Amino acid sequence: MSNSEVSKSALVKSVLAAALFAVSSLSFAAGTDGIGKPISEKDIAPWNISVHFDGDGLPPGKGSVGDGEKIYQAKCAMCHGEFGEGAKGYPKMLGETVEHIRELAQKGEDTVGARGINSLWGHAPTLYDYIRRAMPFFAPQSLSNDEAYATTCYVLYIAEIVKDDKLVCDASVLKATKMPSQDNYYTDPRPDVKNVRCMNDCSKGAPEVTGMAVVGVSGDTSRNEAKPANH
Amino acid sequence: MSEKNITMPVNIDEQAEANQTRRSFLRKSVAVAGGAVIAATAAGRAAAEPLAIPPTNKILGRGVVSIPYGLPSKFEAHVVRRNVEWLTPDTIASISFTPLQDLEGIITPSGLHFERHHGGAVDIDPSTHRLVIHGLVEKPMIFTIEDLKRFPQKSGFWFLECPANGAMEWNGVQMDSVQFTHGMVSCTEWVGVSLLDLMKAVGVKKEATWFFGEGADGAALQRSVPLPGAKDQFGKPISDFDANTIYKDIIVAYAQNGEALRPENGYPIRLIVPGCEANMSVKWLRRIKFVDKPLVTYQETRHYTDGMKDGRFRQYTLVNETNSVVTFPCPDKKMSGKGSYEIRGLAWSGRGKVKAVDVSVDGGKTWKEAKLVDPVFSKCFTRFTMPWEWDGKEALVMSRAMDETGYVQPTLRQLIDERGTSGIYHKNSIQTWKVQANGEVHNVQLRSL
Repeated sequence: MSNSEVSKSALVKSVLAAALFAVSSLSFAAGTDGIGKPISEKDIAPWNISVHFDGDGLPPGKGSVGDGEKIYQAKCAMCHGEFGEGAKGYPKMLGETVEHIRELAQKGEDTVGARGINSLWGHAPTLYDYIRRAMPFFAPQSLSNDEAYATTCYVLYIAEIVKDDKLVCDASVLKATKMPSQDNYYTDPRPDVKNVRCMNDCSKGAPEVTGMAVVGVSGDTSRNEAKPANH
Repeated sequence: MSEKNITMPVNIDEQAEANQTRRSFLRKSVAVAGGAVIAATAAGRAAAEPLAIPPTNKILGRGVVSIPYGLPSKFEAHVVRRNVEWLTPDTIASISFTPLQDLEGIITPSGLHFERHHGGAVDIDPSTHRLVIHGLVEKPMIFTIEDLKRFPQKSGFWFLECPANGAMEWNGVQMDSVQFTHGMVSCTEWVGVSLLDLMKAVGVKKEATWFFGEGADGAALQRSVPLPGAKDQFGKPISDFDANTIYKDIIVAYAQNGEALRPENGYPIRLIVPGCEANMSVKWLRRIKFVDKPLVTYQETRHYTDGMKDGRFRQYTLVNETNSVVTFPCPDKKMSGKGSYEIRGLAWSGRGKVKAVDVSVDGGKTWKEAKLVDPVFSKCFTRFTMPWEWDGKEALVMSRAMDETGYVQPTLRQLIDERGTSGIYHKNSIQTWKVQANGEVHNVQLRSL
């Protein structure tokens, strides 16, 4: 065996060893190779329907308060009321003003039933987003982009957020429409209460029961209960 | 009747070696035992009837695979999800409650997991379903369910809780059932793909500070989830915990308690955002988009924001804080005479492990630390127990959990003083059950708490 043959054979062995080592180590590394397919944003477009609060994502198109009234009365009024007052337990469009909600809350009164689009909805573009993706309830994603603009425009009108009954809504109009409750939100500051882990002598006097649940309030017939008196 | 009870010690006596002292001792014991039995009988406790041979001993039962997918015994037919008709105008955008009173251990059987749909549960063919991941990424990708199963698996035991759990009780007690006061929570072993692996696969850009998931249901529900650096729509940073820890646990789940997800829980895939309000764990997931700002959408302004006493609304109240409830006794599970019992319940925290649970039977005057039953996992149901000799008198039973951050479950009074009563969401206060002398158990609220 010549020197060159020896070194060649050594080289082959070391290459083989390196290859074997590389193969075995690679084969047990967690990877993502070959999983899934690339897709272009253009091909995602039919699903990419989300609109941000600032109007990012609003599509081309437009619709008027007048066109929206026809759609609303045909497809929305049965649940949200002819005048946006709500029906059959579904949400009202026109609720109490933000100022009145604040007054009620500060007096310790319940505001849950008082809320409408004018009282509690951050931004006009996301009203468009919600109507286009989820309304009408019985036929979601059935409205065209223009129909969704028209319906949004009419809901803004009956919720007394816009006053002009000739308004035509498009992306720029929705971006420019300020919602009454837009600045009435703030981000979670919790934990906001601090209980103490007391073990003995934790309350003075005998505990006083202030309320006891009425049997039957669940209204569940399988539990053989009566219906609640009112709610 | 007392003869039966005495028989056993007498037999032992006969088998014992003939030791007069011992015999005399045993005879005395028998006399004491017999006396005790007579006393118990006098107190109204009848002895058991003589045994009859059960009819099932005398027949052949069903063959294997006569029920190919096993079902609970027909005698467990009362253990079901229930809804409250007056809560929502229909059952499509509605909620059902887990029967916590009938659960043992920490796992919720998949068929008893509470349901919250915004547009009804849909049946999706996994062979046609796709997950798209796009937005601020190097390469937008589309995955089949088979593709997702090729990624390394990540699993965990995590609770899911609707933030409206307990919402009917802000203005006073209403629901005389633990199923309805606390049943918007369930706990499951979820299995799927880590969000971190999916982020690696698409190459998420560093400008991405939020992502949102979106469902393939009629609500096409979407929720924004913060990533490190997340700011709200006003430019204010999201809290450290929310922005820097929540996303690390997230998975895209395809399995639940050892099998595929149930349709009501998002089949074939859903997000699981451990510790956070369950609407973020988007069901029937079809799309994840990485973005540099939140959506501030319907589910983040009109729903799932918490009305405060000053009339403003808190948003991104994502974490479900420490909560607990006694599941025995409870209005659904009454007492059956005085004597020995074990108080049992469940505790959970969206910020980590439950560290301790204290139990009171005197309306919160004194508390005693309960036993935590293994296993104790982070962001998971923890079962607690406490032995209890009930004297047959009225008792006010409650539990108070503390998590590993040191946060102690608050009283309703503390929550109302801070927030008012129009918050709807995140009512995690201490629950009181009134045990009456007749053994009935009722939901009550106390002035001091």
